[in-house]
Amino acid sequence: MNDTQQLTENTTTETDQAILETRDVTKKFGGLTAVDRVSIEVNAGEITGLIGPNGAGKSTLFNLMSGFYEADDGTVLFRGDDVTALRPDERAQEGLIRTFQITRELSGMTVMQNMLLGAQDNPGEAVMTALFKNSEVNQFEQHQRERAEELLNYLELGDLHDEYAGNLSGGQRKLLELGRALMSDPDLLLLDEPMAGVNPDLTDHLLDRITALCEDEGKSFLVVEHDIEAIMNISDTVIGMHQGEILVSGDPEVVQEDEALLEAYLGGGDV
Amino acid sequence: MATEVATLLSFFWNGLVEGSLIALAGLGLTLLFGLLNFINIAYGEYMAWAAYITLLATVGGLPFVGAILVGAVGGGLIAIAADRAIFQHFSNRSPVVLLVVSIGTSFILRNLIRVLVPSEFRTALYGVELLHVPNIAGVTILGNQVVVLILSVLILGGVFLLLNRTRIGIAMRAASNDTDLARLRGIDTNRLVIYVTVLGGFIAGIAGVMLGLESQVNPTMGFTFLIPVFAAVILGGIGDPLGAVIAGYALGIAQKLSLVIIPSEYTPAVALLLLIAGLLTRPDGIFGETTR
Amino acid sequence: MSVVSTILSPSLIATTLIFVIVWGMLAIGLNMHWGEAGLLNFAHAAFFAVGAYTSAILTTPPPESGGILEATRTIGFNFPIVVGMIGAVVVTAAIGVAIGATSIRLADDYLAIVTLAGAELIRLVIVNQGSLTAGTKPIKNIPRPLEGTFREVLGLGLPYSVYYVGISGLVLIGTLIMFRRLSDSPFGRVLNAIREDEDVPKALGRDTGRYKLKAFGLGAGVAGLAGALFAHSQNAIIASQFTASLTFIIWAAVIIGGSGSYVGALAGAAVILGIQAVLRVVPSTVPIIGGDLEVLRPIIVGILLIVVMYVRPQGMFGNKEQTLAGVKE
Repeated sequence: MNDTQQLTENTTTETDQAILETRDVTKKFGGLTAVDRVSIEVNAGEITGLIGPNGAGKSTLFNLMSGFYEADDGTVLFRGDDVTALRPDERAQEGLIRTFQITRELSGMTVMQNMLLGAQDNPGEAVMTALFKNSEVNQFEQHQRERAEELLNYLELGDLHDEYAGNLSGGQRKLLELGRALMSDPDLLLLDEPMAGVNPDLTDHLLDRITALCEDEGKSFLVVEHDIEAIMNISDTVIGMHQGEILVSGDPEVVQEDEALLEAYLGGGDV
Repeated sequence: MATEVATLLSFFWNGLVEGSLIALAGLGLTLLFGLLNFINIAYGEYMAWAAYITLLATVGGLPFVGAILVGAVGGGLIAIAADRAIFQHFSNRSPVVLLVVSIGTSFILRNLIRVLVPSEFRTALYGVELLHVPNIAGVTILGNQVVVLILSVLILGGVFLLLNRTRIGIAMRAASNDTDLARLRGIDTNRLVIYVTVLGGFIAGIAGVMLGLESQVNPTMGFTFLIPVFAAVILGGIGDPLGAVIAGYALGIAQKLSLVIIPSEYTPAVALLLLIAGLLTRPDGIFGETTR
Repeated sequence: MSVVSTILSPSLIATTLIFVIVWGMLAIGLNMHWGEAGLLNFAHAAFFAVGAYTSAILTTPPPESGGILEATRTIGFNFPIVVGMIGAVVVTAAIGVAIGATSIRLADDYLAIVTLAGAELIRLVIVNQGSLTAGTKPIKNIPRPLEGTFREVLGLGLPYSVYYVGISGLVLIGTLIMFRRLSDSPFGRVLNAIREDEDVPKALGRDTGRYKLKAFGLGAGVAGLAGALFAHSQNAIIASQFTASLTFIIWAAVIIGGSGSYVGALAGAAVILGIQAVLRVVPSTVPIIGGDLEVLRPIIVGILLIVVMYVRPQGMFGNKEQTLAGVKE
């Protein structure tokens, strides 16, 4: 373990292109190895696609990267720092934000409240400040409310800001999940099937937004999607996974032709 | 030196007796908990009701053996009655709701005892004169304790035979351990719920009657006994019958041996602390792979 | 005429109101735990007891060694009542945080059992540490705030309890304002998010464990304050007043009142106390409902808990639309 840490420090300069890196990360459930010594790099300022048939281990990998699962072995590095021991909230504070495959909207709270929760470093979350420093809190909240309104409008959820999140349709929930994640101004956004259930026009709209965020604001994305075409279109790098292992990684054109990956899709899993 | 050994031995003996009770009660509870997947606070009242039924039966003239049987059957009946009248209507709700409902049920059952049982019998002993046992190695052995131990071991043995050698028992154990898998295997879990409830209530009944024999019969006897029983179930692994029994005996002995270092008023703290520790470290039990 | 004047006497009304206020404060504290943060705290009666005993011990010197009927208490102080009340809040909040630490690892029904076990430990200590708490005997001669002042300054010839309603009422209002403000604040929003789905605030950078500890501390502190208010309204307190079933009565109050709402929690407390008051007036000759309140109350609470669980649509949250939106359990 110490050797690996040494390695990390020595090779930081080589990997400072990668905002997120996993090294031999492994996760087992009972007898099943869901993620098997996976080593990948997510390059900064790029959109990276993660594809693979169902059961490939993509969501497990997301959980390992975001800290919701503890790795049985291996390390996770974010911006060159070893975050393997950090809790999910600590990683999120560093700028590593993830969405969930099955949406986790806070159903008993309104859309706006969901969005506001996304904004980090809210002074009103400290008890004393909440009780006694009204103007400071109000100022922050007002600013975040404006950000949220803008985002909601972009996501075509603008009319729903007082609606309880539990009342939204499946596609709307996906959009809310995305919007909430964007509110936290992430450096790296792990998107787990962000387009599932969203209507096609809106999908293009969203993909444009993601591309814009990447190019204009330098945000990095790692996106799991089953819509292969969409992924190939927007991604700078594509990673293919199957049965817990990485099959191929590289330019979309190259990955598209990869034999092993095609086998995996045709052979076992479904798309 | 001899008196110290005798003291330790008597602690150990008392612990064995107490452990039998905890093990027995824990067995019934772990079966129920494993299958029905909620914490049932009313379980203590199944025990108490059985004890009172036995008490009133002996008062009514029934020989003690018969009275025990009546009490145990009563425990089973109360359990199934509570399930049909109350718990079954919440079967699709979360474990939290069922826990709160079980607390309400326990309030009702416990205080119904106070309402129904004439005051002269509310705190009582069975009034049966059982074997007279001489002291062994300076350890005081009560006839009641011997009966408790022997009967408990017999019932435990009988139940384990049932669980391991009969088809219905194996089905019960399977369903208790993993309900979804059991359903997949075609086991009629609805009928099993009834069987397990009756069996669990019956076991609780025997345990309750024995508890009354070992100490006394009073309205809160079941409720106060719940903590060590729960500790045994959690530490032994939810739905694991053997685990509950082993943990039960260990707990009983630990409680009595603790008298070496702590005053007797604080004996309940042993089970409490072990329960808390058990929940914090392994809600799935020290032995178990059992999951919820 | 004498029956009516007895029922409507200022003293009785005042005593009843004090109970409403005290129970209302308890319900507010529990609403912070359950309604706001979704924490299943079954130790609330213990927090109440800790607050009452702390304030009593801090403000009541140990009795002169008298006859055998005197308490065995040797520890006691003579601090001003304000110190007692602050001490009650601080000590209870600390114990609340200690017990609340278990909620970092445990949720839902396991948390409920752990808190129950913790409460039972507290009860064991109270009942057995006679040198501190007088054990099962009462702590007597608990001082009353501003007793002399009221008599002289206002001197309207009203019994002390009426003034106490004013004092405790002010405390209640202050508490209500404070907690409502917290509820509407971003802090409250994080608690609500924890209640809805703890993974979400975690994924958005919140250390949910710390928030739970804060919620536990705040709710317990209020319960401690309620305990102190209770202690100083009575002349004496005794362990048997703080029963385990009290926790569930307050739970029933919060649930009936519609958890998530502090005003609702107060309303629930008032309803439960109303039922109790009615029961007290029913003569014991009436079958079933007349009779020993000590036995009846738990039975009614039990029935109430079951019925409310059954009737309340899909869960225990106050706002029906909000509840149905969640389809949550």
